[in-house]
Amino acid sequence: METKKIKTIDIIKEKRTVSAEAKQNLKEYNKIKKLILKSLESEAKTIPQIAAETELPLDVVTFYLMTLRRYGSIETGEIDDMDEYFSYKLKK
Amino acid sequence: MEQQNELSFDTLVIGGGIAGSEAAINLANLNYKVILVEKDLSLGGKMIHLSKVFPTLDCAACITTPKVSETIRHPNITIYTYSEVKNIVKVSEKKFTATLVKKPRYVNEDLCTGCQECEDKCPVVVKDQFQYDLVGRKAVYVPFSIANPRVVNIDIENCILCGLCEKVCPVDAIDFTQEDVEIPLTVKSVIIATGFELFDPTQILRYGFGKFKNVVTAMQMERQLVPTRPYNSVLRPKDGKMPDNIAYILCTGSRDETVGNPICSQICCMYSVKQAQLLLGALPMADVSIYCMDIRAFGKGFCEFYQQAVGMGVEFHKGRVAKITEKENGNLILRYEDIEEGKIKEVEHDLVVLSIGVLPNPDAKLLFDSPVIESDEFNYVKQTDELLCPPDTNIKGVFVAGTSSGPMDIPDSILSAGAASACSANYIRN
Ligand SMILES: Cc1cc2nc3c(=O)[nH]c(=O)nc-3n(C[C@H](O)[C@H](O)[C@H](O)COP(=O)(O)OP(=O)(O)OC[C@H]3O[C@@H](n4cnc5c(N)ncnc54)[C@H](O)[C@@H]3O)c2cc1C
Ligand code: SF4
Ligand code: SF4
Repeated sequence: METKKIKTIDIIKEKRTVSAEAKQNLKEYNKIKKLILKSLESEAKTIPQIAAETELPLDVVTFYLMTLRRYGSIETGEIDDMDEYFSYKLKK
Repeated sequence: MEQQNELSFDTLVIGGGIAGSEAAINLANLNYKVILVEKDLSLGGKMIHLSKVFPTLDCAACITTPKVSETIRHPNITIYTYSEVKNIVKVSEKKFTATLVKKPRYVNEDLCTGCQECEDKCPVVVKDQFQYDLVGRKAVYVPFSIANPRVVNIDIENCILCGLCEKVCPVDAIDFTQEDVEIPLTVKSVIIATGFELFDPTQILRYGFGKFKNVVTAMQMERQLVPTRPYNSVLRPKDGKMPDNIAYILCTGSRDETVGNPICSQICCMYSVKQAQLLLGALPMADVSIYCMDIRAFGKGFCEFYQQAVGMGVEFHKGRVAKITEKENGNLILRYEDIEEGKIKEVEHDLVVLSIGVLPNPDAKLLFDSPVIESDEFNYVKQTDELLCPPDTNIKGVFVAGTSSGPMDIPDSILSAGAASACSANYIRN
């Protein structure tokens, strides 16, 4: 009979607690991620358009949008006619 | 804390930047057994994060990665990354003792294949220090794409202990039971190659770094100029706009008594001239202006490199920027004295790059218990015979390589490492 393997995460959990800051950071990220992804459901948008719709600060949208792009949820679309802002869309 | 048996080598090289790697390879090629200890998660130092190098515009990664691979593969070099040494004591000639501390990555380095499946699943996002905070990374992460060793690390302070990484790892590499490991060391000589630190521009409140998101450092610009850049193009961190009127402020934190660093950093003029040229290549419609006291183009081909930038349309303004203010649209107003016209001027740019200076790494001083290592008046490792034997320190058998002894560029760091390895070999042999 196969024995259940001990997960090392259970061992560290007995010695370490997760800081309030780490928990808060995760909550914040999940909230912002949801807002950005939802905003892009309808169509591709630029960072200022997402910020206006979600009421998030522009730099916060840039940081998390680029992170979501890095991890494959978002891809880059076209640049606008003024060659200023790219639009971003959900990755299918 | 786990204790391990004593290790013995000919030379201890502290720091795995370009200088440390070069010194280690030279000694290893002469058949000396070398232990190379690197504090960070990968070898390569600052150079591995650069775009291209002045004045040749060769790709920095194309030079660093083969050097790093050669170091890692060399049979005479034993490497400890994410490790530090402490309590170095000179017991007698050609006998130094020290303690090596290997910090836990919470991953078995021999098993991890760097597949990043764990990274994909990790729910935590924090600022990526290897992209100089421009983008996020996970709590379990491969430091950067060309990191060597290319294995993950768990940032335990930000980990929420969800266990997903351990669950998905196909080779059972995650190991949360790891602790600090202490290993006693004995060596015959030591090379200090702990490199330099970057000036923290938040010290100059007038420039608004941290508050004005479109004021970035030159290191952040290096990352924007590499193929593995944080964004899809060179963009403003505030709003993702493609900049078209970029300013450089030279000597940020150098030649400035008010921030405690009176000396020239020797690299900022040339790396700014380099970045300006690269920006004109990446953003052909952009204007680039450089605000400086003067341009110090003292090396071989440097003056021609500067003239090439002028020919490409980079504008040079003589004058130190006094203050930056931010407009509502994120653009920045620079107030400066135009020295040539003798007038105070205000100019608008949509992105400002601070050419931050080089500072000594205070670590070098903390490594030694007895005797202590001496510093020079600027807090770099003191070269006791700068003219005749530049790698010598106040401790016979301890040598200094690269920017640990003062600001210098890559070719000079490599030369200095060559000298340090030759002196080390000579010391052991005689
Ligand atoms: C923005 C920018 C652009 C640049 N562009 C160019 C260019 O185009 N051309 C050029 O020639 N030069 C350039 N340089 C300069 C170049 O980066 C340096 O010359 C070079 O990195 C110096 O190498 P080093 O090994 O001395 O130091 P570092 O690169 O600083 O390496 C030191 C290593 O030691 C490690 N370390 C530190 N403390 C410890 C410790 N206590 N224990 C163990 N390890 C430790 C560090 O983690 C690091 O890996 C640039 C620098 C900057 C900031
Ligand atoms: S720890 Fe496992 S899942 Fe993560 S990169 Fe290494 S091998 Fe892949
Ligand atoms: S245990 Fe930590 S590192 Fe692993 S997936 Fe969860 S949060 Fe990420």
